[in-house]
Amino acid sequence: MNLTIETENLGKRYGSVQAVENLSLQVKEGEIYAFLGLNGAGKTTTIRMLLGMIKPTSGSVKVLQTPVKLGSREPWARVGYMVEVPHSYPELTVRENLEVARRLHPGTPPQAVNRVLERLGLGMYANRRTGNLSHGNALRLGLAKALLHEPRLLLLDEPANGLDPAGIVEIRELLLELTRKQGVTVFMSSHILAEVSRLAQRIGVIHKGHLIQELSAEDLEHNRRKRLLLQERDVEAAYQVLAAHGQPAKILQNGFIELKSPTAVESPEDINHLLVDAGFSPRQVIIEEEELERYFLRLVGMNGETQNE
Amino acid sequence: MNNFSNMVWVESRKAIRSRMPLWTAIGSLFMPFGIAFLMYVSKNQEIAHKLGLISAKADLVAYAADDWQAYLGLFGQLIAAGGFILYVLAVSWVFGREFADGTVKDILAVPVRRASILAAKFLITGIWSAGLALIIFVVGLALGAAIHLPGGSASVILQGSLLVLATAGLVIVVVIPFAFFASLGRGYLLPVGMAILALMMANLVAVAGWGEYFPWAVPGLLAQGKSSLTLASYAVVMLTGLAGMVATYLWWKYADQSR
Repeated sequence: MNLTIETENLGKRYGSVQAVENLSLQVKEGEIYAFLGLNGAGKTTTIRMLLGMIKPTSGSVKVLQTPVKLGSREPWARVGYMVEVPHSYPELTVRENLEVARRLHPGTPPQAVNRVLERLGLGMYANRRTGNLSHGNALRLGLAKALLHEPRLLLLDEPANGLDPAGIVEIRELLLELTRKQGVTVFMSSHILAEVSRLAQRIGVIHKGHLIQELSAEDLEHNRRKRLLLQERDVEAAYQVLAAHGQPAKILQNGFIELKSPTAVESPEDINHLLVDAGFSPRQVIIEEEELERYFLRLVGMNGETQNE
Repeated sequence: MNNFSNMVWVESRKAIRSRMPLWTAIGSLFMPFGIAFLMYVSKNQEIAHKLGLISAKADLVAYAADDWQAYLGLFGQLIAAGGFILYVLAVSWVFGREFADGTVKDILAVPVRRASILAAKFLITGIWSAGLALIIFVVGLALGAAIHLPGGSASVILQGSLLVLATAGLVIVVVIPFAFFASLGRGYLLPVGMAILALMMANLVAVAGWGEYFPWAVPGLLAQGKSSLTLASYAVVMLTGLAGMVATYLWWKYADQSR
């Protein structure tokens, strides 16, 4: 399968600050790749290097098999992008801003403007000056500009940032449709794991300029910590029974018994049988997965070890 | 060529819809109307008496421009100084607004040559500036006729008019580097600051006797009809414009765009 984005040991240094270091990424055609990191992790710097807006201090970038050079015209006819906060010319209307974007992509037919206005739900704002748009609609306009010329690759920096829940779902469905029906590749950055976990096939986690982990949606599910929580009238006695059967447990402050061993998490029915056979009647047996945010923070080494009790 | 005409459409649409050309045109009208008003005051002692201090200034202007030749020379100097500031505002807006409004990132990774985008910006700036010069000039001519200036032979008016337009042409060329300052400073502050500095330096250098080799002093010297200007003076102006264009292009093509 062709690689849509390929970086090799990509790095960017600003004076004494190493913004991105040794970043090697491969994004396949037709996939949604999420680039996850906290604010200041190096996401936007990477996207700008992918777009040839910033010259890397080390390494190389290929986008759609084309080596990216500063100020080059290639391969941007096939790339749509939205970097950071979407801006537009405030004195122009939504339609005029899209017309400007159309003329910046020669060969895009005039009817593309109406098509994208409809697709992003901007029809009723078409003749409104963009200086008067809400943040959500400004974001839609940013996405409309990125989609206008039907690109093969979309580079989106925090595409759902500032959208209401309905808007987030809408954009998610739009991106899924683009990849499934038209084979468009999407490379999106985000700082919200929960948002990208529903969308991306692969997730790259960047922290302090380094790609610290790449994982698939399945890996994400597998890697998140799970625990079995039991509620029982006689907590102490149940705890003793579990300990006697080699099941390491912990009594939490909220009265639940917590078990983290793989056998307990994977076969909660066995634990339940064990307690029932010993004369207990567990009132609740819950498998709880680590929250995505907590998992993400654990990945980047921030407060990930403490669990809510 | 098709891309270039598209870029010209884009730049002209942005400029027109912003109404900035309109505001600068209104600003430019203050120059001929201000001069005509002072000359009118000077010629009418009754009004001059009521206005006090203004009448003294009016007398100065009337003394400096008591016939068509001097009047048109004064307009040349106005364009060299006031026009220069207006042109700097125009060029700063055309280039600096992309950074001030955060829209620059949308014109960087596009399949249109950076040179086409910049050429369209320079063309629009040039047309805008030339338009302002024409407004100042035509209104000035009309007001000069209205206040019945003496010495208005066809050759004097033609020669004076050519001087005004040539001065405007030189000013349009020497403001080109301010496109680079607007890009480098990512907004309006640096070019406006540099314009004030250039005007101050132009005065100082002219007083020191080196004005004919200082690009921002040359238009003013031309407007004053100084014979010290040589071919080298015009070459310095042209080289300054060319250097401004090349620096702007290189900056847009090779500078990191991290904001």
